[in-house]
Amino acid sequence: MKMHDIKHGFGSLWDTVAEGWTRLRESAGSALTRFRPGEAANLPPRGEIDDVGYLPSHTWAMIGGDVFEDDRRVMVRLEVPGMDRKDFHIEVLGDTLTVRGEKRFERESSEGRWRMLQCAYGSFHRSVPLPAAVRSEDARATYRDGVLRIELPKAEVRKPRTVEVKLA
Amino acid sequence: MNAVTQTRDNQTPARHEPALWPPVDVAEDPTGITLYADLPGVPRDKLNLRVDGDTLAIEAELALAVPQGMEASHAEVNLARYRRAFTLSKELDADKVSAELSQGVLRVRIPKAPHAQPRKIAVNVG
Repeated sequence: MKMHDIKHGFGSLWDTVAEGWTRLRESAGSALTRFRPGEAANLPPRGEIDDVGYLPSHTWAMIGGDVFEDDRRVMVRLEVPGMDRKDFHIEVLGDTLTVRGEKRFERESSEGRWRMLQCAYGSFHRSVPLPAAVRSEDARATYRDGVLRIELPKAEVRKPRTVEVKLA
Repeated sequence: MNAVTQTRDNQTPARHEPALWPPVDVAEDPTGITLYADLPGVPRDKLNLRVDGDTLAIEAELALAVPQGMEASHAEVNLARYRRAFTLSKELDADKVSAELSQGVLRVRIPKAPHAQPRKIAVNVG
């Protein structure tokens, strides 16, 4: 199933009643991420939400990710719009990069009603396997247009040295 | 009756290229509606917001090219566009649409036409 089918199918879930949910879950792999709203997410009270597809306990959203590499570095890109820089926590352990975050619901309050509430809010995490060993202490991350970009220089691989053994 | 309703995709004209369907939040208050759409990877110059009669159409291109000299070892984001359309009810003033884009989140504000807004009536003390 291509990403297009997954995202389209995921979007139309809001109109139909969770049909094909199992199939979607199996195909989306690691991109389909669970968001758990806690106190910090600051979601509007249930009484103000008219969206019939809305589930307050958790939401699923796609965090599309790409991993690129060249000789010197690995680059990881994750799509997480609407975040505050300080709410990202990025860690590398062995050959896995993990991004944790808290996406807060920050809207101007008005006496409004929410007709649709589809965007995901709350705490999430996404782990990405890295294709090579990296020097995590030299990694750099930027966040622009809602995309988190993490650049990790590759660890130098020590070439095996050939030692000549002389016969006595 | 909702001021904003989802338009079926087959009504959007022209392009048949596959596109991603962005998730959207819509709030309605007495003076208008505010719509938020998640559009990660979209810079301002690649966003196309159109009001056509009673249809609001969001179309955007992602600027997520493979960085030069690099190879993708794992790629999930294959498609380059977002597309979604909504039907606006008559009570909205489609001429007064305003929008802003920040960190991949599009915020669109459409006020209700004056005739549709609640009117306060001053009560004179007799």
